[in-house]
Amino acid sequence: MTLTSFLILLLGGVATGTIGAMLGLGGGVFLIPFLVIVFNLPMHQAIATSIVAVIATSSAGAAMNLERQTVNIRLGMLLETATVTGAVFGGVTANYLSNYVLAKIFATLLLIVSFIMIRRNRRNNNEETIHLDGVLPGSFKDDAKGEVVTYTVKRVPALMAVSLLAGNISGLLGVGGGIFKVPAMHIISGIPMKGATATSNFMIGVTAAASAFIYFSHGHLNPLIGSTAALGVLGGSFLGVRLSRKVKSNVLTWIFAIVLLVASVQLYLK
Amino acid sequence: MTLPAHTVERWTSLSLKLGVWISGGLMVIGLVSAALQSFAISLPKDNPTLGALLRNVFSGSLDPVTTMFLGLVLLMLTPFLRVITALAGFAAEKDWKFVVVSLIVFLMLIGELVYSLYR
Repeated sequence: MTLTSFLILLLGGVATGTIGAMLGLGGGVFLIPFLVIVFNLPMHQAIATSIVAVIATSSAGAAMNLERQTVNIRLGMLLETATVTGAVFGGVTANYLSNYVLAKIFATLLLIVSFIMIRRNRRNNNEETIHLDGVLPGSFKDDAKGEVVTYTVKRVPALMAVSLLAGNISGLLGVGGGIFKVPAMHIISGIPMKGATATSNFMIGVTAAASAFIYFSHGHLNPLIGSTAALGVLGGSFLGVRLSRKVKSNVLTWIFAIVLLVASVQLYLK
Repeated sequence: MTLPAHTVERWTSLSLKLGVWISGGLMVIGLVSAALQSFAISLPKDNPTLGALLRNVFSGSLDPVTTMFLGLVLLMLTPFLRVITALAGFAAEKDWKFVVVSLIVFLMLIGELVYSLYR
């Protein structure tokens, strides 16, 4: 590795960490193609690096978000039971549907969700609808609004079902479950966008942790590339959390909807 | 004794910070050492086993590659530490329902790890 490639990789990590921490995603959608195309890395090494990056984004972002109570920790832990179960039974789904068919189904789903998010945002004049008659209450200070946002979680069973599905397909398709969980938390359960992204960011590290050791034991983790990317991602995550505090929720929703469109196109092309 | 509010959030945040700073620090030391050798370090064909990594650490041979691997492994262990800390935090808050939920997550995580490594 040269000093130039080290700096490019570090910057790539910063960008991934910033976007990932802001939107509650692992950033694999961006990091894997970046590593494969720019660094000519074999796919398995790129995925292994991306998984470490997910853990870095989640750990650094959640450490800050937990302090500010943006993470709904009880909801996060509850949904983790569903995502980990989904991941365990990933093989069952693989027996019924090919990866090709799955990728096309979920690309369509992401496209639909993206349009729903944009439509709802426009219909509600960029204001979020908060429900106070649900369970697992949460509250956090929204710096962009300058007020404390209090909310509850609606339709927990439906959210658990989506999380199960997210865990199930994330392993099969190599995409982070956050891309499904954030819209589900926001649209189905009425969780404010900032609470949804922070809770998703908190969860993705645990989902990635088990598979990280598998890739490690198979020798796919390059220490130079892994460390450089992880350090970049750690720095980017701190930046991403700070940015997400300043950005208005409706702007966050727009950015998320655009990322969904990009991920959808990527899945179609896969 | 009454615990301050949001004990579980504060403990969990602390465990994550601990993992991030220690692993990040080790990766920085490893990368700086590698950079001082113009990144001309020989990389092993396979990743070390956890046992081999610990043996290297305790024998005092902390070369750049071992230091970076150690940082990466500690980062990968951070989510496990976070689940255990959350479990302890919920227990301290006497929220038994979420003690059980955390325990389920932890056992599933360990189960998935063991199953995947040995299948």
